[in-house]
Amino acid sequence: MEQVIVVRAELCTGCRDCELACSVRQTGTFNPSRSRVQVMKDETTGTVLPVLCLQCDVPLCRQACPVGALVEGPGGALTVREDRCIGCGSCVTACVYGGIELDPKTRLAVKCDLCGDGPPACVAACEYGALELQERDRGLVGRLDGVRTVMRAYGVGEEAVRN
Amino acid sequence: MTFPYKGYAGRYVEVDLGSQDVSIKEMRKDWALYYLGGTGVAARVLWDRTGPDTAPLSPDSVLVVGTGPLTGVMFSPAGRMMFAARSPLTGVWGESHVGGFFGPEMKFAGFDMVVITGRAEHPVYLLLRDGHAELRDARHLWGRETDTVTYMLREELGDPTVETAVIGPAGENLVAYGAVIVDMYRAAGRTGMGTVMGSKNLKAVVASGSLGLEAHDMDAYLRANEVELQRLRDPLWEASLGSLRKYGTTDLVAIINEIGRLPTKNHWTGYFERADEIGPEAIAERYRLAQEACFGCLIGCKYVYRIDSGRYRSGPAGGPEYETLMAFGSNCLNADLESVIYLGHRCDLLGMDTISCGKTIGFAMELWEKGLLTAEDTGGLDLSWGNTETMAELVELIARREGIGDLLARGVREAAETVGGDAWKYAVHVKGLEASGQDPRAHQSIGLTYATNVRGADHLRSLSSLEELGYPEIVIQRFGKEKADGILDIMSPLYKGELIKDVEDLYALVDSAVICKYGTMWPPVYYFDTFTNIIPPLTGMTEWGDMAFVRSAAERTCHLRRAYNHRLGLTREHETLPKRLLEEPMPTGPAKGGLPDLDVMLDEYYQYRGCDRTTGLPLRGTLERLGLSDIADDLERRGVLAGGPSDTS
Repeated sequence: MEQVIVVRAELCTGCRDCELACSVRQTGTFNPSRSRVQVMKDETTGTVLPVLCLQCDVPLCRQACPVGALVEGPGGALTVREDRCIGCGSCVTACVYGGIELDPKTRLAVKCDLCGDGPPACVAACEYGALELQERDRGLVGRLDGVRTVMRAYGVGEEAVRN
Repeated sequence: MTFPYKGYAGRYVEVDLGSQDVSIKEMRKDWALYYLGGTGVAARVLWDRTGPDTAPLSPDSVLVVGTGPLTGVMFSPAGRMMFAARSPLTGVWGESHVGGFFGPEMKFAGFDMVVITGRAEHPVYLLLRDGHAELRDARHLWGRETDTVTYMLREELGDPTVETAVIGPAGENLVAYGAVIVDMYRAAGRTGMGTVMGSKNLKAVVASGSLGLEAHDMDAYLRANEVELQRLRDPLWEASLGSLRKYGTTDLVAIINEIGRLPTKNHWTGYFERADEIGPEAIAERYRLAQEACFGCLIGCKYVYRIDSGRYRSGPAGGPEYETLMAFGSNCLNADLESVIYLGHRCDLLGMDTISCGKTIGFAMELWEKGLLTAEDTGGLDLSWGNTETMAELVELIARREGIGDLLARGVREAAETVGGDAWKYAVHVKGLEASGQDPRAHQSIGLTYATNVRGADHLRSLSSLEELGYPEIVIQRFGKEKADGILDIMSPLYKGELIKDVEDLYALVDSAVICKYGTMWPPVYYFDTFTNIIPPLTGMTEWGDMAFVRSAAERTCHLRRAYNHRLGLTREHETLPKRLLEEPMPTGPAKGGLPDLDVMLDEYYQYRGCDRTTGLPLRGTLERLGLSDIADDLERRGVLAGGPSDTS
């Protein structure tokens, strides 16, 4: 897998158009609850943060899956094989980033697959540039940079960020 | 028979709070086809289910909570929804629209609208979740401020993603201009829709859902939608959108003051010398934390503010819009920006319309200046212009209806009647609704908008930005070259009747769809062809591909709302302006000397609207052409159809 989606939290307005676009691509309906990207909002700190799969090097979700339902898809991103998934939710518990969820309709696991071979729908839909597709090497750094504002809002120090 | 159209959730809820009966019904085909949604369907429902004897705060009054087919389906900007009922503030047609996330969530919960009547025995809230609807006890929420209620609802439902529409203490206490606060700090402020909820013991409507919405032809719709969004992304509009993104509506403080139309000192003038101090730059530099957007919006005019210290320490919360800056700022001769932001925030928490509240306080300050209110009336409060301590106190007193607050909680029209004497001269309202942040002495057509607006003196039913900000190409496209110069002259009444009728029709569709005024009002991008382009592939209503059908639908809704008011006795004599805006020439600023030629514009408006000039009542032929024969018959029986019941000419 050569690319990752980088979130630039300070540019996100919380409009959730990424959720709509994702749901249309993945389900053929307008249904943000089934989107693979979810925008978290915390009014007490004035924070918004799109949450989606970070395409980990060592995916905890795959390790946790008892039936081997998480496999690399055509674009190289880890995807859920619906014919194997039993909806047990172990992957959801295992992922510390909120990158995998159970679909409220199918009750099976769903996660971002970078839209297979095509450009991700969420990135195309984001009018504010808060979601960006970057080459993996650069993207790993970008991913950290992009959420610094959120870390500051929650009092996570710069030292912690660097480690 | 099943509801055939897509884009809609396909069902609505009927609630009788008296009997606690909640029933889920299939959406009606005729409502969608002929009225689209939102204000159109609400007009039909309120016409059919209430009469002129239905008092606004009686149990049998009806409140419509509505969305439209474009709510939540990737058109932008369209994160909106609306409330409609007979207004407790004005006694006539009331409606209020609001952005945020509640409207789309209502559809994802499975419902296009809710029709509410009755009065619950004790406070309740309505929960809409995945196709289910139920009433729940809200006694523990009663009396609490809107943000607290929202947090409590998320907590007790175990769902941080629920979206909420709640009232605050002001609505509970029946302040005439109680608002419904959506998603923490977006307000359906005008005409007292929160008060109607309060009178019904309905504290909140809550929605959460995972039901998807379909398109009739998804690929065709997405293509058509993209064509429309590209129109908005045209470089022509870069400056307008850039301003909205950077400053939101706060930029209007500067823009509007420049043309001398910023209501100042209870609408005495349109120019505020200290406007910079409450303007966009001051806010952006010191208090703006971040940009925000409503659901699926690519403009993003909202922002979050925080005041870190001092008496007005508050936030993070939604920052004040132009209208709030006007109402508590220039209108009260108050240049203390922190106090303005704070007062707006307090109104959100108390659930009160900032425009009516600020304008009523400004009115009271003028009565104080003129000696019509004294310390005896105010409980010792000093109502001098710009006294921020007093203003902060008044907002609380109004919400609780204590002391002088009880008088001011009724709005300027009724307060003026109670005070008596010359007080009416300073009550700046139409049909009982306090004027919003415009002035016809600097912008002729807004005078016609104020006068003819079915809900009273504000801009949102038909404000034209075409001559206000100057868009010659658009004017030529829509009205032809010959009329362009006349229309573009902001101080000429020429062709303004035709212009405002056209804009009112357009906004009737905007408010039915339900989409935002941004992208339509300003910048003026979307037009009737937007609807012919996207409604058919989204919904499958092929009739909406026909321009004549679409235009008729717009007119139908305008006439039905007007008929609702005629049934309550309103005619041309009520479609006028307050004395200050009609007779007192603009005293200072760039528009000095200006006065509107209202009668000239009204004559032309009635002609284009298909109404009788003398009375403002509709002609039978107009209503029949729009498929409203039943309305014509009813109006005729009541003697409020043009020509009267015995007309045979």
